[in-house]
Amino acid sequence: MDLIKPGTHIDFVGKMKKALFISWGLILIGIFSLIFHKGPRWGVEFVGGTEVHVKFTNYINSDNIRRILSSAGYSAESVQQLGLAQSNEYLIRFSPDVAPFERIQELQGKLEKVFESAVGKGRVNILRIDYIGPKVGRELIEKGIISVLLGCVGILLYLMIRFEFEFALGAVIAIFHDVLITIGALSITDKEFTLTIVAAILTIIGYSVNDTIIIFDRIRENLKKSTNMEFKQIVNESINQTLSRTILTVITVFLVLLALFFLGGSVIHDFAFAMIVGIVTGTYSSVFIASAFVIYWKYRKGILT
Amino acid sequence: MKRSSKHWITVILILSFLSVIFLIPTFAGDRLPEWWGKVFPRKGLRLGLDLKGGIYLLLGVRADKAIEHELANLKEDLIERLNKEKILPKGFNSQDKTLTVNFFSKEDLDRVRKDIEADYKDILEVEEKGLSLHLTLKDQYIKEVQRRAIDQVKQTIENRIDEFGVVEPSVQRVGTDRILVQVPGASRQDRERIINIIKRAAVLEFKIVKDAGPDEETLLKKYGVKSGDELVSLGLELHPGDTGQENERYFITEHEAQVTGQYLSDARLIFDEYGRPAVGFSFRGEGAARFGKLTGENIGKRLAIVLDGVVKSAPVIQERISSQGRITGNFTLEEAKDLALVLRSGALPVPVDVEQEQTVGPSLGKDSIEKGKISMIVGGTAVVLFMMFFYKLQGVIANIALAFNMLFIMGFLSAFGVTLTLPGIAGLVLTLGMAVDGNIIIFERIKEELRAGKSPLAAIDAGYERSFWTVFDANVTTLLTGLILFWFGTGPVKGFAVTLSIGIVSTIFSNVVVARVISDLIYAERRVEALSI
Repeated sequence: MDLIKPGTHIDFVGKMKKALFISWGLILIGIFSLIFHKGPRWGVEFVGGTEVHVKFTNYINSDNIRRILSSAGYSAESVQQLGLAQSNEYLIRFSPDVAPFERIQELQGKLEKVFESAVGKGRVNILRIDYIGPKVGRELIEKGIISVLLGCVGILLYLMIRFEFEFALGAVIAIFHDVLITIGALSITDKEFTLTIVAAILTIIGYSVNDTIIIFDRIRENLKKSTNMEFKQIVNESINQTLSRTILTVITVFLVLLALFFLGGSVIHDFAFAMIVGIVTGTYSSVFIASAFVIYWKYRKGILT
Repeated sequence: MKRSSKHWITVILILSFLSVIFLIPTFAGDRLPEWWGKVFPRKGLRLGLDLKGGIYLLLGVRADKAIEHELANLKEDLIERLNKEKILPKGFNSQDKTLTVNFFSKEDLDRVRKDIEADYKDILEVEEKGLSLHLTLKDQYIKEVQRRAIDQVKQTIENRIDEFGVVEPSVQRVGTDRILVQVPGASRQDRERIINIIKRAAVLEFKIVKDAGPDEETLLKKYGVKSGDELVSLGLELHPGDTGQENERYFITEHEAQVTGQYLSDARLIFDEYGRPAVGFSFRGEGAARFGKLTGENIGKRLAIVLDGVVKSAPVIQERISSQGRITGNFTLEEAKDLALVLRSGALPVPVDVEQEQTVGPSLGKDSIEKGKISMIVGGTAVVLFMMFFYKLQGVIANIALAFNMLFIMGFLSAFGVTLTLPGIAGLVLTLGMAVDGNIIIFERIKEELRAGKSPLAAIDAGYERSFWTVFDANVTTLLTGLILFWFGTGPVKGFAVTLSIGIVSTIFSNVVVARVISDLIYAERRVEALSI
């Protein structure tokens, strides 16, 4: 069975300019959202504080929770819904001065009482409490940034060895494109930026490069074969030849991501969301960012005319 | 069939056998027979705290305090030494890793300098500035001191947690100065106790009481000093009291403790004559001798039992006691039990801070595992059906390879004793979707070769051969990010990284070797007219 008819010639290269506008548009929307939200909503593991994961049996919304908390004299830094709406799970965050380590036990007991008095005994369950001191958070942010940069340098080096410089650079630019759009999407949907999201972003980086390499690999192969075709055409041909694989793989990865998104539970939910965004942009950027950059570079440098 | 395939079949069979062996403990748990542990590994896949529920504590060890102690000891030594030489120092000053000794005359300084330099040459840098000697601890020695302190903290915490009596607690060192304590299954009710047991310094001292009073000021005035620190030069020390007596909220005792908790041979829960919980302790050997001497020489005086700087009780010494004693106070049964436990396991040489804590209720873990399983089954089934629908017989081959892949991944995760966390499960599910990518690349290539007019078998050969480097390059970069995650990650993210990395290696193998071998087995003995692809 064929998904894409053999000999399909979609003019990807011709659409690269338009695509660039879309990419910039998406990135800018993300950046605006980040500015509007004053940066990513950092998870408690990065900024320190106490986070309480609560599950209610009946419907409740974050305003209700805030009201219950303030009537008990607590102000939560944020109250965020976790997972799908019907699961009624919330993540309540307290700043380090509201709930320093010494007072967690007390906080927990009080929370249990005020919620129970509001929604009824046995209808609320504190699933998890996280406390993170300020020192750990700083170190994590540093290490996180270092690890992403280190990952990019590693990929750049590996691709420089296996391909040419412009291919390596194109792949890394595509990575930044995908990561920026994913972070933007997380900011627009007001999701928390946690360690699990960092894991998702690193996986997206891996996937994005993976997808890019498969097209580059074909370009390299076709370059060896034909000498009379223009470079642009070779790139376009290579994208078309690998198109069915690209789509098929996206489908299989999507199938499991959808399963994780809808069935994986509250903690996995955001991870799956980030991955879905990342997989779409990762696939798109292999064609419209990475490959486009290689073409741009070759022609700008006057290697080809 | 190709000859190389035969070798690969052996490899695949061996790997499968090993994976099954590694996996059996995971599923059989405690039902494994006795002999199993002697022949095969017993460790299975372990579940992380986020799946099992329990308490996760990341402790920062205040190793810098060990340096403070070291300088304080050095100062005591020097005071002794100068005293012997009949030199009165002008004063001492300690900062960071340097102890400064000020002298009244150059003559005094010169008299001791050589000896100090010679005796402490391994641990100190000596520098002379005017009338003072700057004694700086060498970096090498500082490292050694800190390493010892951290080791001792870890050992002590291990002892305490072990005695607390929970199943499979774990105490690990993380980085240079952190200790990770995981107590699976601990409920939220245990939390306070566990943290108290871990954090308590448990420094027990026995000192002779000089004075006691209801408030700090009048007590200090009596001795003509303004602060407790000034008492030290008189050989005395101020301690708050927690004896339940209103008129004895503060105590002045001798500065130096003749006997400390390190000489204890045992501590246990007892009840006093009113039936209240208390802690009984005993000494043996040197401890007994010291305690006997202390009590024998001070009959009629009061003995302060000082725990972490607070006087817990101060009974009058009636007679010489050497082997037994008790600490009374307003303890609950649990407090007394826990205090006995920490005293038995020894004092923490330096304090620890809780830098991170996670308490997971048991229901969250169960729920997560259940949902992880469901999403794995649904996602996996969808992928398998899709591959069969789209690639027919080749799709079945890919699915068999996927099954082997999952077996290898699970097997090697158990072999490495990896702790499976929630993000780890997510990674595993994700692998299901990404693992068939290699097969798709190869199959699409085979189709292309067929279209180019190759015979079925030649197309398979060419498809696998030409795709190898594509699959390899594409996966190596992901492996790279996996390894970086492993280095960067703590706890759950580390689990994710391991799952991802093992997954990739196993996936490359399954894509290019297992699928190929199955395909060879199917097409080997027949003349193939057309491929089902």
